[in-house]
Amino acid sequence: MMLKDWVVAKRVGAVVASPVRGAWLYLPAALVALAMSLPLIYLIIRASTAGSSAWTWLLRFQTVQIMGQSVGLALSVMLAALILGVLLAWLVTRSDLIGRTIWSALLPLPLVIPSYVGAYLFVSFFAPRGLLQNLLEGWLGVERLPSIYGFWGAWLVLTLMTYPYVFLAARTVLMGGDRSLEEAARSLGCSPLETFWKVTLPQLRPALAASSLLVGLYVLRDFGAVSILRFTTFTRAIYLHYQSSIDRSAAALLSLVLILITVGFLVTEQRFRRSAAENPYTAVRPVELVRLGRWQILALTAIILTVVFGLILPTAVLFYWLVRGLAAGEQLGIWVSPLVGSVSVSGLAAILTILAALPVAILSVRRKNLLTKVLEKWSYLGYAVPGIVVALALVFLGANFVPRLYQTFFMLLFAYVILFLPQAMGSIQAALRMVQRSLEEAAASLGENPLRVFQRVTLPLMMPGVATAAALVFLTTMKELPATLLLAPIGFSTLATQVWGAVSEAYFARAAAPALILILTSSISMYLINHHSAIEGSSQRQ
Amino acid sequence: MTEYFIECHHLQKAYQTQFAVKDVSLHVVQGEILAIVGPSGCGKTTTLRLIAGFERPDRGEIRMEGRLLSHPNRFIPPEKRHIGVVFQDYALFPHLTVYENVAFGLRNQTPEQVRGRVNEMLELVGLSGLAKRMPHELSGGERQRVALARALAPRPRVLLLDEPFSSLDMDLRLKLREEVRLLLKGIQLTALFVTHDQEEALFMGDRLAVMNQGVVQQLDRPETIFSQPVNPFVAEFMGNANFLPGRIVEEGIETEIGLIPQRVALPVGSMVEVAVRADDIGFDLSKDANGVILSRVFKGVTNVYKVRLRSGLVLEAFQPHYRFFPEGQPVRIFADAGHELACFHKGVAVKEDERHLDRVTKG
Amino acid sequence: MIKTRYWLILPLMAVVLVGCASFSASSQAEDAGSLIIYSGRSESLVRPVIEQFAQVSGIKVEVRYGNTAELAATLLEEGKNSPADVFYAQDPGGLGAVANAGLLAVLPDETLEKVESRFRSAQGLWVGISGRARVVVYNSQRLQPEDLPADLFGFTDPRWKGKIGWAPTNASFQAMVTAMRQMWGEEKTRQWLLGILANQPVVYDGNTAIVAAVGSGEIEVGFVNHYYLYRFLKEQGDSFAARNHFLNNGGPDSLVMVSGIGRLAAGKNEENALKFIHFLLSPVAQQYFAAQTNEYPLVAGVQTAAGLAPLESLNAANISVDQLADLEGTLNLLRETGVLP
Repeated sequence: MMLKDWVVAKRVGAVVASPVRGAWLYLPAALVALAMSLPLIYLIIRASTAGSSAWTWLLRFQTVQIMGQSVGLALSVMLAALILGVLLAWLVTRSDLIGRTIWSALLPLPLVIPSYVGAYLFVSFFAPRGLLQNLLEGWLGVERLPSIYGFWGAWLVLTLMTYPYVFLAARTVLMGGDRSLEEAARSLGCSPLETFWKVTLPQLRPALAASSLLVGLYVLRDFGAVSILRFTTFTRAIYLHYQSSIDRSAAALLSLVLILITVGFLVTEQRFRRSAAENPYTAVRPVELVRLGRWQILALTAIILTVVFGLILPTAVLFYWLVRGLAAGEQLGIWVSPLVGSVSVSGLAAILTILAALPVAILSVRRKNLLTKVLEKWSYLGYAVPGIVVALALVFLGANFVPRLYQTFFMLLFAYVILFLPQAMGSIQAALRMVQRSLEEAAASLGENPLRVFQRVTLPLMMPGVATAAALVFLTTMKELPATLLLAPIGFSTLATQVWGAVSEAYFARAAAPALILILTSSISMYLINHHSAIEGSSQRQ
Repeated sequence: MTEYFIECHHLQKAYQTQFAVKDVSLHVVQGEILAIVGPSGCGKTTTLRLIAGFERPDRGEIRMEGRLLSHPNRFIPPEKRHIGVVFQDYALFPHLTVYENVAFGLRNQTPEQVRGRVNEMLELVGLSGLAKRMPHELSGGERQRVALARALAPRPRVLLLDEPFSSLDMDLRLKLREEVRLLLKGIQLTALFVTHDQEEALFMGDRLAVMNQGVVQQLDRPETIFSQPVNPFVAEFMGNANFLPGRIVEEGIETEIGLIPQRVALPVGSMVEVAVRADDIGFDLSKDANGVILSRVFKGVTNVYKVRLRSGLVLEAFQPHYRFFPEGQPVRIFADAGHELACFHKGVAVKEDERHLDRVTKG
Repeated sequence: MIKTRYWLILPLMAVVLVGCASFSASSQAEDAGSLIIYSGRSESLVRPVIEQFAQVSGIKVEVRYGNTAELAATLLEEGKNSPADVFYAQDPGGLGAVANAGLLAVLPDETLEKVESRFRSAQGLWVGISGRARVVVYNSQRLQPEDLPADLFGFTDPRWKGKIGWAPTNASFQAMVTAMRQMWGEEKTRQWLLGILANQPVVYDGNTAIVAAVGSGEIEVGFVNHYYLYRFLKEQGDSFAARNHFLNNGGPDSLVMVSGIGRLAAGKNEENALKFIHFLLSPVAQQYFAAQTNEYPLVAGVQTAAGLAPLESLNAANISVDQLADLEGTLNLLRETGVLP
């Protein structure tokens, strides 16, 4: 490692000095990369036995069409989530919007609604004869609503469920970024809008690139929402191969193709990120909030619409199910143990994922060379394939090579780390970029070794970003299904598995209670994380 | 070993293909302040960072009290060097209070000891009342003092200051540099001080290292550097604005503005350049004018004139604040030094050579 | 110092991890006897019956719930190292895949003989537990049973254009198509698929969604399994506007499908596994399925749920589960006709 590092550093030349960039980090980073390769190894083993029918299927014209549909959906959801996420983040951090702090806490929450549940709730509300239509028919006599199924339904639901990725990333940067640049732009005659476009947005660029990548990959690998909303994507096709014929080889072959598509997304993201400059904390005063004036109403409308559709509506439908079921005499179970299970594994997954992401993130930010770039991109492998593929990869490897660990919490947490590492990567990298190097040098000159420098200076300064990363991983683990179902210790259940078990058998009332608890618990956790990072963030504004 | 406190031998550091530091050798005596001065990009900050241990030299070595700090095969990390650093942007930890910033480097001490030391430091820099403030609640000067207190608190063996006053306004800069110098001298701390401002360097440094293009051009006492620059760059950087071409003759140096009666260790007929400071040049209105007034800038105590010689060479000349000449006025320009002038032959300083002088007189 | 706080997380995490480890270690400790079930049937359906078994037998039962296909894939990946003793599947497809990989053990005759031979694997590798019939669910506000055709082929009539819902990805549907291929022949089945396609059916994700859509009037008819309807009726009352229609014509469209169970050959608890399978075929368990999940009991002498005709009275397709094994052919046909992507 040391030698390789030295060689690479020599070739690339500019290794920017910083106490927190030790070459020893290559070791943990390599271990992380190795872990991330496991699904790939599995896929190659499986795909090698794929029969001719899988190849024929793959090489049909329709399959290319399905790929196009996947990519098209991913790109359009990315664009929408990007616009919505940035707009909302700007409103809650930089404007005098009424109720900023409340919105700031509510807006990330749609992330916690499992996409199959979200889509289901949407369908039951918006479907041609759904709740909304019933309401409208009662009041207004509306007899037919535009169909929610197909591309636009999937687009809408997935946008509402993924914009929080962009929102959280943009909010972190907007809270901590250098506002003197914006002031400079204003003094040079830029309007607030121009300033945003020319100065703020470029500062946001790396964070936006990373988070919209997450959105894109989420859409690429989503199965639940597209199935319910009847839009055929590549991932849906992969699932159907498992579902119908339990054809693992064909599914593996298709997953490899999905990885290729993902590589395309990764390369594009890298291009977008490239032109972004580093954006350190500098001595700036808290800036004046932009007065929205008569835009206040419009801004509030946008936010309220988002919260209503993304959060309140699904919650309301769940309540409706619950009440309807209770009225019909449905018994409700006790949800303590799934609740504890959900919160504890999600919390642990968040911590472990961040620990795993840190070495890779530090290397990729502080030692820019080909090797670290590859290491970083490599960590997206687990996120490039559907969850079931990663789960089955670990089933195969766990049961056959480390039976002692198979179906233990170690295995489950390991799976979560592989699945969600990329979610932590972007925010951690963004936070790291904002930590001024002279602060670390100052700490080193005061006698602290690199580990202590990291602990006493870098990490506290990165806290808003780390908190965002933790929130993302926590929330997505809360709703994770395939890995939890297949890899958890036997008998272990989470709120998500409870919801799934009930919804899949049309026991809506039974699904409603754990689903509501899932949303509530996640809201509380989000509030705590938010609150914490807000405090940290405010004390950092020099 | 040597008597030097810090020694750098042939340091070299390149980024990509660009040399930041090409060949730097310097030494610092215990208790002295060495000012490293040079234009931006000359490698002075890199030199400081090499000494601090933030960068590894590609070549060369650094020793402190004879102990090897940096060497291509051996490298002591910054935290083990006991070298304090005051950063250009102060680098105060934004998440810590003033007190916590100053206490940051104090380890293995009881809370009482820490409190005592922090208070002592804050008192030393005159900020006793501000311990609970956050860095963003401080003024520029206060931040500067906190940065100093923080660097001094762990009792470093050496203090490095990287353009510490550059972001302060003029008054504050003058006041603070005096304070800092007194303070450093008071505790007899060895220090390296980097600046691009020659005046500040002259003020702060017991000795000066003038750098250019990654190389130390001259390392000496301020007076020596000022009066005996080793090359035209140093002469110019230390405020010698005019270079006059001249030719060695028996009586001295013959120039366009007349004979400068100064003996130099060069054979007759050699061509030299004489560095003439603006205050060494006079002019009057006598008939045999050899130049013309181009422009005048009034600077309060002095008038700064630009005059053009027949050859086209433009010189800068000071006149008292009450002497005014109109632009375009023909004048007679002459050297009016009253001391030895620095003189360069092919870019190298030429000194008076006793033996040569002997030979000249004998001849 | 506030900052050190974050590092308290590490020891905390270590403690929790150790706790987790000991949890999983203790969960593997065996007493008198234990049993590990992989259940592709949902927890809400089968948990009561499994709990009852645990209580009666005193055996420590642990269940991994999941989707039948995913659990089947899991068993295939685990191979001989699977911790599972039995695989309880929603449909024969999952069982077939595991059986074909040679992972199931032959069940004793006295267990197999409790159900009709058409509801169990011919090699005796798995046995059906409960049955469900393919039905047409219709919106009871718009249609009467008389309006419905005598068999599924009748729905190719243009009058049903835009009014049909189906779920071609669903395993039961695919089994029905396999039955069609067996009984109607390849060509007629193709005609049927193309005929329905021509009527622009609404594609759903599964049976539940179809029943919900029929109830809300989004569509008028749907091809589903019979028992989903009863859950809607239970939660939403009789006002839920959907009812089942049994075609009862002895053709593939009146197929009765089964859930089934097989024992993993590598399972460590053979005796307990057999006890459990036996229990599921006991009158108590069969009665539970009849009453609580509205499925058909497969063991003779057990009453079906109120309002549901007994299995014997159904004119169900006379086809054995083994004849339904050619899923590959069905999938090819479905893809060829464009029903599946």
